[in-house]
Amino acid sequence: MNRRTFIAQASAALTGVALASVAPAWAQSAPDVKLEIAPLALEIAPGKVVHTVAYNGRVPGPLIRWPEGKPIIIDVLNRNTIPDIVHWHGLFTPVDMDGAYEEGGRLIAPGTTFRYSFIPRPSGFRWYHTHTWAGHDLRVATYSGQFGCFYIESKADSGAYDQEIFLTLHDWNAYMSNSGDSSMEAGYEYATIDSRMLGFGDPLRVREGQRVLFHILNASASMIHWLALAGHEMTVVGMDGNAVPNPGPMRAVRVAPAERLDLVVTMNQPGVWILGESRESIRRMGMGIVVEYANQQGKPKWVEPPETLWDYRSFAMNQPATRQPDETIPLRFESKFHGQGAFDTWMVNGKSYPDTDVIMLREGRRYRLQLVNRSTDDHPLHLHRHTFEVTSLDGKRLSGLMKDVVVVPAKTTAEVDFTADNPGATLFHCHNQTHMDFGFMTLFGYDSLPVPPRNRRLCEPSQRAVTPHVSSL
Amino acid sequence: MTPLPGISIRVLFCSILCLVLLNPSSARAQDNYEIQVYPSETMAPKTLLVELHSNFTVEGSTTTQFGMLPTERQEHETIELTEGINEWFEVGFYIFTAEKNGSGVQWVGDHIRPRVRVPARWHWPVGVSLSSEFGYARAAYSNPTWSWQIMPIVDQTIGRWYWSINGTMVWNVHVVPPPADSTSQQKQFYYTNVAPKGVTFGPAATLTYAPSKYFNLGVEYYSYYGQWGNFVPLHYQQQQVFPVVNLFVSPKWEINFGAGWGATAGTDHLIVKCIVGRYFDWSHHRPGSSESTQ
Repeated sequence: MNRRTFIAQASAALTGVALASVAPAWAQSAPDVKLEIAPLALEIAPGKVVHTVAYNGRVPGPLIRWPEGKPIIIDVLNRNTIPDIVHWHGLFTPVDMDGAYEEGGRLIAPGTTFRYSFIPRPSGFRWYHTHTWAGHDLRVATYSGQFGCFYIESKADSGAYDQEIFLTLHDWNAYMSNSGDSSMEAGYEYATIDSRMLGFGDPLRVREGQRVLFHILNASASMIHWLALAGHEMTVVGMDGNAVPNPGPMRAVRVAPAERLDLVVTMNQPGVWILGESRESIRRMGMGIVVEYANQQGKPKWVEPPETLWDYRSFAMNQPATRQPDETIPLRFESKFHGQGAFDTWMVNGKSYPDTDVIMLREGRRYRLQLVNRSTDDHPLHLHRHTFEVTSLDGKRLSGLMKDVVVVPAKTTAEVDFTADNPGATLFHCHNQTHMDFGFMTLFGYDSLPVPPRNRRLCEPSQRAVTPHVSSL
Repeated sequence: MTPLPGISIRVLFCSILCLVLLNPSSARAQDNYEIQVYPSETMAPKTLLVELHSNFTVEGSTTTQFGMLPTERQEHETIELTEGINEWFEVGFYIFTAEKNGSGVQWVGDHIRPRVRVPARWHWPVGVSLSSEFGYARAAYSNPTWSWQIMPIVDQTIGRWYWSINGTMVWNVHVVPPPADSTSQQKQFYYTNVAPKGVTFGPAATLTYAPSKYFNLGVEYYSYYGQWGNFVPLHYQQQQVFPVVNLFVSPKWEINFGAGWGATAGTDHLIVKCIVGRYFDWSHHRPGSSESTQ
């Protein structure tokens, strides 16, 4: 099937789907969750105010905690001045509910509400965030405060912990900065945990002997972060909401943009400590939070963790995956230089989005994505609406590590396997906002279902057209 | 030609002759040890940049004047060490040497150069920093011997283009006195035009274009206008233009090549320069580790 034929068939199929879904029953129900997008003056420390956009007037947005398999209805009201869209990251949503404009998702016009309705799955630590385009406006899209945690409870959740804490990392006031290799990247003025700079938020209160389960989300637009809890070991039990086959203790953990970590810490060092970025320069920007044991007082202590390297294989099985893929899809990533004062453009197999080729999948087949990073940057790569298994890193085989974001270091190759089991257009992109804005995206399509009639991309927020077909509830 | 007020034709003629023979570029030969237009950005903390400046004067002054050696066929090797202290402060240190047939490698002098910048997070539309350089150079190679330089730096990158302006002002703390038998008028002329005691001005600038992330091509401009508020005539100013290429073959290395053409009588007419720099990360952190900011 050539592209023109495919697009024609896809358009026809889309029309059919639209007609079949007129006035569904759920449209009459009250929502389970309401999100309101609106500008917010966020005080991250006394006198330090960040002007951003947020959900429900807070950063992060409200925690959505929902049983696996129970349908959910979420109404999103856009009180901002530009169209928006909410992506449910890590969930196996239907394509029209995923919240990605490039997959055909609908923008929410200013002053209107869009209703998302789906059955949340799989269980584990997911999240939601805006999925818009920032370009050179480094205040919007994932640079903003539009993100929140989404926890899907498993029926089999053992709950082998005494306290559960969700923490979100974010960087603020981005600006174009020299990355050291002649190209430009986003630099930041402030960094926060749960929207407060170190020393200015409420401390996390724990008791001696407790087992605390931390759910850590890196909601930064582009920064990879390292975290350490001074004086304590952290056991990595989950990544991207999925249990790891080989939980292991770490003194410092790495979490890339859009990645999540589940960490269990046994509180066995009474005192007042800092949970923060291991790099002093970023801790000084504000990335840290105080952990205070009951009946303990004093100045929070920081203890430098030993220098740590991050290797996904430590938490996986070291033997190759048992199930072999039906097909391997090579994806090659390169950048094109546009000057030391400009962002590079990015290419997947030689083309920048929206000019990339749609890669067709057949439902039920297992695919191996061969991720060849020829650039000098590390990339956190995300596949929408599916979970993949990391099967090789720089030529070394592994298995059992299930993720939806994987960091492929510069000049290396990684391989991930996934089963095409969620029909519809499926976006694949680097989760570094700058990279995805400047071409680092491509689209998969299922041959059983249409993809959008053309590769769609958003434009600068100030020029963004409001799409029709926005429901107003 | 109208004589300058208060100076006779004869004195003026002799002085100009003296000036030409002396060659003001020799008087300021220290500039030919570090031929570089600075960017506003400072060195990252815990990072040391070791640079070797190699400058060869193909065509310059040919006679010894007032104790200063001729510059032609002189090779200048300068080691520059720059250490980043924090995100807005660095300190540089220079060791100047000169080589010429018959005299071997000679130590010329040393300078120290603290520099502060406006942090990038202040979001200024242009990069701004302020450099202060103080030091000594032997009289055989430099006049003044002791000097203090203040240099505001402004730069900007626009797409593939980059420009930087260095407003170099030098206070000649100690200059070599003129010959003892000089007349008062000759002394006055000497201290005004040859080796001013006050502050001198000599801006430098560069404009480059980057066809690739691995190199850029550009032009660098260096000058010496003379005493602040009392510039010497254009004929005796230094005006140099260097076509240059900057290579970025690795984040650990910087390489600059250029050939400079002196446009006035007061300038060495042809200099070839090369800067090779190597960055050393004193933090010893492995790239991508929990302590690395790379």
